[in-house]
Amino acid sequence: MRPRKLVRIAIWEVTKNAGGIDRRTLTVVLFAMGLFVLVAPMAASGGVGLDDGIYRVSVDESSPYYDVAAADDTFRVVSDTDRSDLTDGRAELLIEGQRIEHAPSPKGLAAHEEFRTTVQRYNDRQLGLEANNTAAFPVAVTLEFVKQSGLGNAIGVNTPEETQPDDATTGPGDGTDGSGDSTDGGGDGTDDSGGGTAEPDDGTDTTADDSAGDGGATDGSDDATDGGSDGAETSGDDTGDGSQQIGDITAPLSDDDGLSGSPSDIDPPFPFQSLILAFIFVIPLNFIIQAYGSTMLSERLNRRGELLLVSPVTRLDIIGGKTLPYFLGALAIESIIAVALVFVARGELGGLLSVLAMTPLVLLFLGSTFLGAMFARSFKELTFVTVTITVGLTSYAFVPAIFTDVNAIALISPLTLVVRDLQNEAVTLAEFTFSTLPPLLAALVLFGLGTGLYREEDMFDQRAIPGKALDALAGPISKPWHVGLMTAVLIPFVFVVELLAIAVLFALGEISVVLILIVVAVVEEIGKSLHVYASFQHHRFERTGRTAVALGLFSGLGFFVAEKIGLLAQLVDLPELAIGEAGLVGGALVGPLVLLFLFLPLLLHTVTATISTLGATRGRRTYLLAVAVAIAVHFGYNLTVVTLLV
Amino acid sequence: MLAILIQLFIAAFSSFLVVGLTSMYDPSSIEGGQINVGIAGETQDKLVQAGAREEGITVLQFQSEEDALAAFDRGGVDAVLVGRNTPTEQGTRVTVEAIVPAEDLRTTLIVVQVRSMLTELERSERILRSDHLSFTPLQVPGEVNASPQFGFTYTILIPLLLFLPAFISGSIVVDSFTEEIERGTLELLRVAPVSLTDIVDGKAAGMILIAPGQALLWLVLLRLNGIAISHIVSLLVLVSALTTITVVIGLLLGLATGNRQQAQLLYSVIVLLLFGAALVLPEHPATTIALLAVDSATLSSFAYVAMFAVLAVVLYGVTRQYVAQFDPESL
Repeated sequence: MRPRKLVRIAIWEVTKNAGGIDRRTLTVVLFAMGLFVLVAPMAASGGVGLDDGIYRVSVDESSPYYDVAAADDTFRVVSDTDRSDLTDGRAELLIEGQRIEHAPSPKGLAAHEEFRTTVQRYNDRQLGLEANNTAAFPVAVTLEFVKQSGLGNAIGVNTPEETQPDDATTGPGDGTDGSGDSTDGGGDGTDDSGGGTAEPDDGTDTTADDSAGDGGATDGSDDATDGGSDGAETSGDDTGDGSQQIGDITAPLSDDDGLSGSPSDIDPPFPFQSLILAFIFVIPLNFIIQAYGSTMLSERLNRRGELLLVSPVTRLDIIGGKTLPYFLGALAIESIIAVALVFVARGELGGLLSVLAMTPLVLLFLGSTFLGAMFARSFKELTFVTVTITVGLTSYAFVPAIFTDVNAIALISPLTLVVRDLQNEAVTLAEFTFSTLPPLLAALVLFGLGTGLYREEDMFDQRAIPGKALDALAGPISKPWHVGLMTAVLIPFVFVVELLAIAVLFALGEISVVLILIVVAVVEEIGKSLHVYASFQHHRFERTGRTAVALGLFSGLGFFVAEKIGLLAQLVDLPELAIGEAGLVGGALVGPLVLLFLFLPLLLHTVTATISTLGATRGRRTYLLAVAVAIAVHFGYNLTVVTLLV
Repeated sequence: MLAILIQLFIAAFSSFLVVGLTSMYDPSSIEGGQINVGIAGETQDKLVQAGAREEGITVLQFQSEEDALAAFDRGGVDAVLVGRNTPTEQGTRVTVEAIVPAEDLRTTLIVVQVRSMLTELERSERILRSDHLSFTPLQVPGEVNASPQFGFTYTILIPLLLFLPAFISGSIVVDSFTEEIERGTLELLRVAPVSLTDIVDGKAAGMILIAPGQALLWLVLLRLNGIAISHIVSLLVLVSALTTITVVIGLLLGLATGNRQQAQLLYSVIVLLLFGAALVLPEHPATTIALLAVDSATLSSFAYVAMFAVLAVVLYGVTRQYVAQFDPESL
């Protein structure tokens, strides 16, 4: 690989091939995006009434509930109805005076529940207009998240400050917020109580938080002393408290952060933030991979790529050169987004950590698109491949980030690092590694497999996708020990899939352990044997039992060694969650029987790998059958280990 | 075939979203059980009373805040509430500091329980102070055992599942058309005794027909899952109409650019824009789908379906005219 040639190809890619996007197209796209930016705020402010009018309520104008129903777009007021309409499905709610009846259907129940919240909201809104604010909202709550040391003491490595996600980003803190911060900062929350909590209360009193109308007005002095006096206070909190806001008259105590206010204002942590982040960061990537996939595939149409292939440059130069502009472009876009978001959230320049965290994700998008473009026979197939990539990787980025309150799970997704960065929270090197290394390695593997296909024989023929996949896997294998190496190379992949499965399944409760064990068994067995099957198909080895056993041993050994990447999980204490242990660590425990525990997984991996490789010698059907057997053995072993140990 | 596989994949993903997100969003749907709440501070009695009226909460009183927090730290109680009377200009407010576990799966549930207990406290406090209030809060209807996914299923999931085939069909038309042009196979097709209009018709028809098929498959699957869906015919008509519109967009872009990269980019931007721009309509197509599926449709919803159908037919007719006059040599 020579940098000068690589850069030359990169420049061609930008100047010549990106000619695919001409000025006219660019203008239209920019114009459309501009329009979209104009439309977006309107959509956001107008409340995209997707549920407008889905429930019909029959209520008389004399009823006190009439205004409630009429003010909420979710409900449509219908008239001239009686009780029979409830059962006939012409109305969901029937209100007569104070009595509320609902239709005997799931829809009726849902309507009733929805009406319940609507009434609550209506009450709060009306009470917000009261002159006597204290009587209208007689209870003020501050929610604090504090770690319990008695249970699961290693689940999170965070201090309580880091788990107060909302202060830094939502900004406004009101009077009650002050007390929360002070307790947290000044004694790590739990031990110090009397002094720490009494103090802010005084602050609340003296600054007359509740002076009529603006209950939410903040007491800056209180917060300032907090920030100054306790060193443990993170600067994120300070920034948050610094930007103050006059309370909204309709919601006197609320500051929208779900942490303080009247009882109805507090909310359990909900991952809106990561949802929005996921979309902001990931949507541009989708456009980029579309263009990238197109240019890669068009090299393969009409043998265009042949010209470059015969020129005196290496494959790596071509691939690197063609990828570089898209990588840099994506990185530039992500950097702009990161810096802008950091600036909005913290009021200062920054965001390097976010960019570093997004880099593996960018590479993963590009890598899978590259491999997809090598596999696809036509643009149509490429579209499907890109859709799959988008959905899969978006869920990889997004799903773990939902569980912001479970540190180890959240860290599976690099987006969590971005969230942390935005909140100016510390990220340890271990957490960073755990979050970014698996996708980075997986991306490299994808590029590696794709590079294996970037040659005349594979680029210009019309083989089906599964055949291509086998080609890619069998390509680098020529000696038996290569099989072990290949297994090791595929590990990051296996690991990423398992992590995703953990993130997706762990919320399901008891059953999730079993489900995850199944996923683990399936993924690991396929990861250990698919390339062996591929190399048998390509006649790399003799189809004899002895070869198969040898290959199985290599594969199992390779897997066992490389599986130690799973120890990464211990960096963030994932095994502390029983499920993480079930999924990733299997039997690798430290104990008196440490040798046995080291030996057993090795035995398991070699035995199951041999079962599948023996099947692979015959043909597809026997291979599938053998893999199924291996999966069953693997699952049985894991289940035994988990039930014995957990 | 691949299309269906991918859609199944997306379906699996979205059904996960349904369960996961709504259980997050509406945490009361998570299976609960009892939680222990430690109570300290000067307004203990009020909190204890409120806790006693709340199902699923066991109240433990503590002498001091320190004791309560120590019990919390040991895991003896799930949450600690410290209440104080705070004087304000207009009287006294009960300030409650609620301490809940960080980083625990049960946090969501605990917060919900605590919230409902404090709402109860707020209600009784308001009654005590009703003299100072001009507005009497309306009686809040009692809780019922409703499915928390209900609204989500109809307003997000079903519209999503029905829009998806339409979007994908348009995208495939872009692909198949630009690919023929780029590979030069369109030339070959034109040597055959078919006109450009025939080719366009053929490509469009396939894609327009497949979308309602996929939509129907979805609706049947949802029905098997016990989700009632009404007005299936109208829904399918709407999907076909929307698909025709996206296919027309795809065709025109393919013809105009003759290049996949450009056409796809423009296609996604324009379709996204149109989807957003539909907000200016009094009723967004997604809302129309929700209303039809949930059986709350009004006449205007049906009028929209008819309008989209007419629009689709007109657009397609115009496009055919355009293609008939199009000079294939310019491709």
